[in-house]
Amino acid sequence: MDWSLIWKACIGLAGFGIALGVILAIAAKRFHVDIDPRVEEVLAALPGSNCGACGLAGCEAAAEAVVKGKATVKVCKAGGPEVGVRVGKIMGLDMGEAIPVKAHIHCRGGKSLSPLRAVYQGVNSCRAAQIVVGGGKACPFGCLGLQDCMKICPAKAILFDEEGIRRVNVKKCNGCGLCADTCPRGLIEMVPATATVFARCKSKYTGKKASSLCKVACIGCKKCEKVCPVEAIHVENGFAVIDYDKCTNCGDCAVACPTNTIQLWVANRADPEGGEFIVPEKEKIADPVS
Amino acid sequence: MNEGWRFFLLFFGAALVANILLIRFIALCPFFGVSNSLETSLGMSISVIFVMVMASSVSWVAWNYVLEPLHVGEFLYIPTFILIIAGLVQFVEMVIKKSSPPLYRAMGIYLPLITTNCAVLAAATESVKPGFFTKINIVYHYGFIESVVYTLGVAVGFSLVLIIFAALRERLDMAPVPKYFKGIPIAFITAALFSLAFMGFAGMFSL
Repeated sequence: MDWSLIWKACIGLAGFGIALGVILAIAAKRFHVDIDPRVEEVLAALPGSNCGACGLAGCEAAAEAVVKGKATVKVCKAGGPEVGVRVGKIMGLDMGEAIPVKAHIHCRGGKSLSPLRAVYQGVNSCRAAQIVVGGGKACPFGCLGLQDCMKICPAKAILFDEEGIRRVNVKKCNGCGLCADTCPRGLIEMVPATATVFARCKSKYTGKKASSLCKVACIGCKKCEKVCPVEAIHVENGFAVIDYDKCTNCGDCAVACPTNTIQLWVANRADPEGGEFIVPEKEKIADPVS
Repeated sequence: MNEGWRFFLLFFGAALVANILLIRFIALCPFFGVSNSLETSLGMSISVIFVMVMASSVSWVAWNYVLEPLHVGEFLYIPTFILIIAGLVQFVEMVIKKSSPPLYRAMGIYLPLITTNCAVLAAATESVKPGFFTKINIVYHYGFIESVVYTLGVAVGFSLVLIIFAALRERLDMAPVPKYFKGIPIAFITAALFSLAFMGFAGMFSL
């Protein structure tokens, strides 16, 4: 056996290793680039899928933008509020508790409840219809039903029922908020995922004018305002708006609502859509003492 | 044989006739991994050309001035070349990061990928051991220039195929492909047909 060969191999390889190690060590010092350590921390907090939903070139660019102050800590749409809170912590901002949100469509006036005044035959888009004459629906505030929100939804969480009204499948909704941005009538609101009481109308008309255009319109009667124990619901601009920071989901307003505009959401795991809207039985809940 | 003609054959042979991706099936992982879009494949191609030429010229020096004189090259070339490539890529990454941030942003993310790329090792190995060209009587031993020309040929062949394939896949995404063939399966079928087409070059060298 040729021992000298083994020595030569060891020395040769070790020599290469040491030489490269020294070169790299020198280069690391010589070509050191100072980077803000927060960039790497923020990058670690982001999902790292480089989806580009924030409008920047990948998560690294987003992290850099956040640290430089060119983007807010809520830059990541895909990551949702949890990522926003984590990024906020790194940047020294207290974001409070993360509340996951779901989309909710504030209209329940389907074909049988809300009459048409014309037949719309234009471009198949809510935005186009809104620009022309406001579509064929008599109610100028209700859901046009031309599927702009369905088309934009990345999670395919918006569907429509036999009434022709969009509904959100809360099981699929990831709370990205794209539909809320796209609805030309501003009917979609991002609400906390824990909310179970919904005021489902945004008609600015009150009284007879509202109810003549839709059987389930909010007529602005303010009954809900009076029964609410925590002052979470108010009639503004002619329709009831629930303040989810205060709402305790007691459902009293839904019971009091004369037009059944305010409804309760009953979550049901077995339901493919995650639950359904119900009209509360008026007598039972109206007198909880008995 | 005329010197210029020999270099041309060397380059042409390395790039097309013995194409590293489609004829020899080396480095198939980046071939499918990075060919999703034209943009990423361009970045990868530039990085590969750069790293391959640098790695194999350093490997050539290591082989001819260290390994061969010590008579250890025959069994030590793979660990040595891996060491050289890994170290070199690290070094290049640091230099680029410092000297040219835009260039780093363009090819920075591909450099660590290339460290473990088998095509770079294959090119470095063959720049000192001309396996393919000894068979067709062009070259028996590479000088430094020949080694660089050969590696450049390999890298250009790699880039050419990667970029064409990325462009094909971008169009395939929009083509009406049967459901179960969407994505990677149809890419494999395309690559196979592509490879068949490249075998047409093989006849040009059986002189």
